[in-house]
Amino acid sequence: MNTVIIVNLNGNAFHIEEPGYVALRAYLDGAGAQLKDNPDKSEIMSDLEQAIADKCAHYLQPHKNVLTVAEIDSVIKDMGPVQSDGGATSPAADVPPRPNTADGETAAPRRLYQIREGAMLSGVCTGFAAYLNVDVSVIRIAFVVLALLTGGLWIIAYLAMMLVIPFAHTDEEHAAAAGTPFNAQEVIDRAKRHYSQFKNDREWRQHWRQQRREWRRKWHEGAYWWAHNLQRNVQQFSVHPSYFAQVFAGLMVPLFALLSIVMAGLFIAALVTLTTTGAIFGVKLAASMPLWVAVLLLFVVYGLIASPLHHARRAIYMQRGGYQPWLAAWDGFFSVGLMAVVGWFAYTHVPQVHDFIQHFPENVLTMWKNVVESFHHA
Amino acid sequence: MEAEQKFVTIRKGLLEFLILKIISADKVYVADMMKRLAETDFATQEGTLYPLLSKMRREELVDYEWQESDSGPPRKYYKLAAKGRAQLAEFKNYWEYLNNTIDKLGR
Repeated sequence: MNTVIIVNLNGNAFHIEEPGYVALRAYLDGAGAQLKDNPDKSEIMSDLEQAIADKCAHYLQPHKNVLTVAEIDSVIKDMGPVQSDGGATSPAADVPPRPNTADGETAAPRRLYQIREGAMLSGVCTGFAAYLNVDVSVIRIAFVVLALLTGGLWIIAYLAMMLVIPFAHTDEEHAAAAGTPFNAQEVIDRAKRHYSQFKNDREWRQHWRQQRREWRRKWHEGAYWWAHNLQRNVQQFSVHPSYFAQVFAGLMVPLFALLSIVMAGLFIAALVTLTTTGAIFGVKLAASMPLWVAVLLLFVVYGLIASPLHHARRAIYMQRGGYQPWLAAWDGFFSVGLMAVVGWFAYTHVPQVHDFIQHFPENVLTMWKNVVESFHHA
Repeated sequence: MEAEQKFVTIRKGLLEFLILKIISADKVYVADMMKRLAETDFATQEGTLYPLLSKMRREELVDYEWQESDSGPPRKYYKLAAKGRAQLAEFKNYWEYLNNTIDKLGR
């Protein structure tokens, strides 16, 4: 027994078994993606739907009114891959159908999803692993390294990704996450694989727990190593507490504070222009780069620049006598004051900043929506 | 590259002219076209043909009209437009010229 779904193909209703429906949906979505820049897209799509409807009608009889997966699969094979201009300009593709060589699948669009299966927290890493086709451990280690390098900023980026990246729920979405071609056969194969995996569920759970322990151990080690090294560097950095050194430190503090604030300001401005206009300070993104990738890159670049600056600032507080509270306090007062001055100046003298702050909630909402949308149009 | 693969490239370029040629004889709809092509080396599929036909229509080589059919919904019957007729004639000439050239070179 199978669930049946009723579809409308260019005005004709058909009953299709659920896996067949999923395969057909994937085929039409793939065709739509191929034709997305074609001015006649909607006309071609309805032509294709009509052709599919005609083919489906051949499989129906008075006492057989449901189309099976196998029938849908052969209809799709019969239709062949959809190419935007009929393949006239891409000699790599094949015109005549060749039954013995490969299936005529359209390349499935690859999208970034969160994948719950095998996830430790939310599924961001597993999603990236599927998207980039690498082992999930590699991604996890890369994420930890990034978190350390960016001084924790990456963790914020990670939390944002947890909220923004959609979850892969359907089989179709799982296929898109890995960019695998998606057809009825693939669904059946995957179901078989899942079944055998299910049998080994207990083993798998055990393995998972083990991996988690290992992971925690690695994290502790990494954090210890980092803290240890930083301390050593800071000690090397510290100067003699001579009068000169103290004055020098006192002068360096505002310089570093100013640099940090300028960097942060540039970062925020870049983030805002990027997410609202798709360009950084007037420089357009490459068409192939989705917005979310650009945002991630921006965070990484900022982290790479800001984190040494941050550590250098901290290092100044450490004179030979140890932690110098007056330097930290001076830095704090100076930074807050400078931020207030810069913020006020920007608000009163830069009309764009003024406008942005006037409509702050709507602006943040648009930025957020644009990033979220870029996940769906990968 | 295998010979067969090279022929694929050649056939791909010719498909558009073959469609013009089929249409030039009579008004046809897509299933007819595919049937005619299926008997040849130029067998093709809907996934290729519909986008190609829409491109040719945009270039004003072909045009279509809806016609009721005895069985099922109305169909699009394709016919040659003036520009398509001109291009087909040009193509025939060029094809002859190519044949002559190939004959003359070597033996």
